Amino acid sequence: MIKLNNITHTYGIKPVLHDLTLDIEANQLTCLLGSSGSGKTSILRLIAGLEIPKSGEITIDNISVTENKQILIPPHKRTIGFIFQDLALWSHFTVYKNIAFGLTEQKTTRRQSTKKNIKDTVFKMLNFFGLQEHAEKYPHQLSGGQKQLLAISRSLVLKPKILLMDEPLTNIDVKMKRKILEHIKKLKQNFNLTIIYVTHDHKEAFAIADKIVVIDEGKIEATGTVEQIKNSENKFIKYFIEI
Amino acid sequence: MDRRIIKHPLYTIVLLSFIFFVVVPVIYTIGTALFFDVSFNDNLQSLDKHTFFLLSKSIVIASVIAIFSTLLGTTLGFLLYKTNIKFHRSFKIILLIPLLISPYILAVAWKDCFFIFFNNTNLIPSYLGVILVLTTIFTPLSMLIIGNALSNINAQLEESGFMIINPSKIILRITLPLIKPALITSFVLVFIFSISEFSVPAFFDVKIFTTEIFTQFSAFYNHSLAILQSALLIIICVFLLFTERQYIANAPFFSIGSKGNSNKTYNLKGWNSLSLLFIFFWFFISILFPFSILFFQSLKDGTSKFIQAFELLLPTFSSSIALSFAGALIIVFVGFSAAYFSTQQTKTKNKKSFDWLLLLIFAIPSTIFGISLIKYYNHPVLDFIYSSYAIIIIGYVGKFSFISAKLIGNAIKQIPNSLCEAAQVQGIVPFKRLLKILIPLIIPTLFITFVISFIFCFGELGTSIMLYPPGTELMPIKVFTIMANAPQSLTSSMTLIVFSITLLMIISFYFIMKPFIKNYSYTND
Repeated sequence: MIKLNNITHTYGIKPVLHDLTLDIEANQLTCLLGSSGSGKTSILRLIAGLEIPKSGEITIDNISVTENKQILIPPHKRTIGFIFQDLALWSHFTVYKNIAFGLTEQKTTRRQSTKKNIKDTVFKMLNFFGLQEHAEKYPHQLSGGQKQLLAISRSLVLKPKILLMDEPLTNIDVKMKRKILEHIKKLKQNFNLTIIYVTHDHKEAFAIADKIVVIDEGKIEATGTVEQIKNSENKFIKYFIEI
Repeated sequence: MDRRIIKHPLYTIVLLSFIFFVVVPVIYTIGTALFFDVSFNDNLQSLDKHTFFLLSKSIVIASVIAIFSTLLGTTLGFLLYKTNIKFHRSFKIILLIPLLISPYILAVAWKDCFFIFFNNTNLIPSYLGVILVLTTIFTPLSMLIIGNALSNINAQLEESGFMIINPSKIILRITLPLIKPALITSFVLVFIFSISEFSVPAFFDVKIFTTEIFTQFSAFYNHSLAILQSALLIIICVFLLFTERQYIANAPFFSIGSKGNSNKTYNLKGWNSLSLLFIFFWFFISILFPFSILFFQSLKDGTSKFIQAFELLLPTFSSSIALSFAGALIIVFVGFSAAYFSTQQTKTKNKKSFDWLLLLIFAIPSTIFGISLIKYYNHPVLDFIYSSYAIIIIGYVGKFSFISAKLIGNAIKQIPNSLCEAAQVQGIVPFKRLLKILIPLIIPTLFITFVISFIFCFGELGTSIMLYPPGTELMPIKVFTIMANAPQSLTSSMTLIVFSITLLMIISFYFIMKPFIKNYSYTND
């Protein structure tokens, strides 16, 4: 579904990804696993169209979205949802407005989105994530876990096909982490999603992934199922998992 | 954020307008005086020993003020930002008052003091008067710069030193070296403000370089010589500012409500009472004493002088407030445009060009900037600007947009990119992202920038005294022109009225904007 072909990416003169090729299958939860600075987040941002690679091509559903240092399809036309590491919740909007904002602003292009439709859609999402009681609260009035759920709801309300999650569970306690990981697992089926989940925590990856891609210094070290990665003889992977 | 946004027509319009209305006059005036003026050689001959003596005198006085302000600012900054001394929160705000008033108000107060105690205003030595008043005015600026730098030091850097050496050595060997950029910034900014200052030396009758330029311009009408002399001053200011541009451009004091690292505070132990005494002494010297004197002086013969002062200033109220209001609005707009486009993540090479232009105009002394505007706009084609209030607003915009751009720029930098990227992914167009995400998040900064710009415009004298069209009545100009021949009590009353109106306007803005600001103040976590 998503293909990265020979992607090279740099920040200034600092190389981040080296001639990276990666296939992400549809309706799977793929974890990009690696240590800090390995290039995981850059892959997500390139897929989203928030950054332009130095060379290489990215395709989504066999349509070229980025090629020859050019964004061919802008981020909002890629049918993606993005959950940022800091969640990027709009602190001046209520929970309701955070979710409704995208729908409201797109209503000129989506003529069927009347005010009532938007309200129904937002409350459907709030109910699904158990946030209905908090609709009028501001993000800073929510708990850590509720914030995560709000960020997920906001991303899903525009019905994306792909959900990109950049270490969304950082700074969450273990109990809440387990609960949200369960939620994420269900999302794939309920919303028919292809999920790319970035993490440095192999336990998180083992708990939810259909497929794991281990990345180190901008290169893919290994790809496989949870079992394949667990049993890998690759020295780096063994070392990384032991840590 | 969108990389292509730098090509936004709004950016181009604001940048080109700034170049046309503000930058071109300066280049045109200095260029014609230096390269096309027939009397250039004669004027060059006029730059004799006397000129360089005055320039040296200005440099020495400005250096003394910059050193005193930086030393006092360091001490006060340390006590109020790095210790838990009593009343430190209140003093952090109270001690900023001198920064919000026009320098000549304090000059009047100190002259009053000598008039009251010795019945002779000439007893205060002129040089001492200039240094005292300007040090009082600029010490809060140094305190703000250095205090912010001190509170942004990561506590662990100092705590690791505690394992090895005692607190006094930590201050000398770790803390002070870490805030070296702030110390340099403080010195350079105070030096430039002092060397450009015109009203206080003129009030104390001290002949320095800026007063000489003003005399050449307004008394002898020798514009070319005034500009040639100005060029020397510009070279000094621009050289200093551009040398330290990196420190100054990123100076933390330009941020409003920035989140620093955890701050290490020191226990003053036996020094507590002495330190508190020092803070009270400075409060007395810089605020309490001068204002008490002004009150005493203006009300000692009853309210007659006060009423007379009020009647004299009454015609200037509406024009001063309206012009400052309009000026502040435009300054915030220009500052926002420059800040927004220069903080974008773009590879465009000229993204900092607006910043450089703002810095260049900021570095030019007020009187010289005023002369440039007059020379440029005094042509039949541009007479509609020259003979109207527009020229004064252009003067305000040129002088204060740099500060506004820095305040707003630092606020924008504190907004994570991901907030706008999240909207970008959802298909929100750049203009809507700006209007509905970014601007609401920086509303408090925009408001504070507006109030600061208003105060600066309201008290501005150096440029507007050159520019005001015939028949225009502005408060600082009226006070300045009347004070030369008016009795001391009338001058005191007028300055008190100016100060009261400034304060009243700040309070009014606060209450008008309070509910609005409250709605837009968030806990970002």
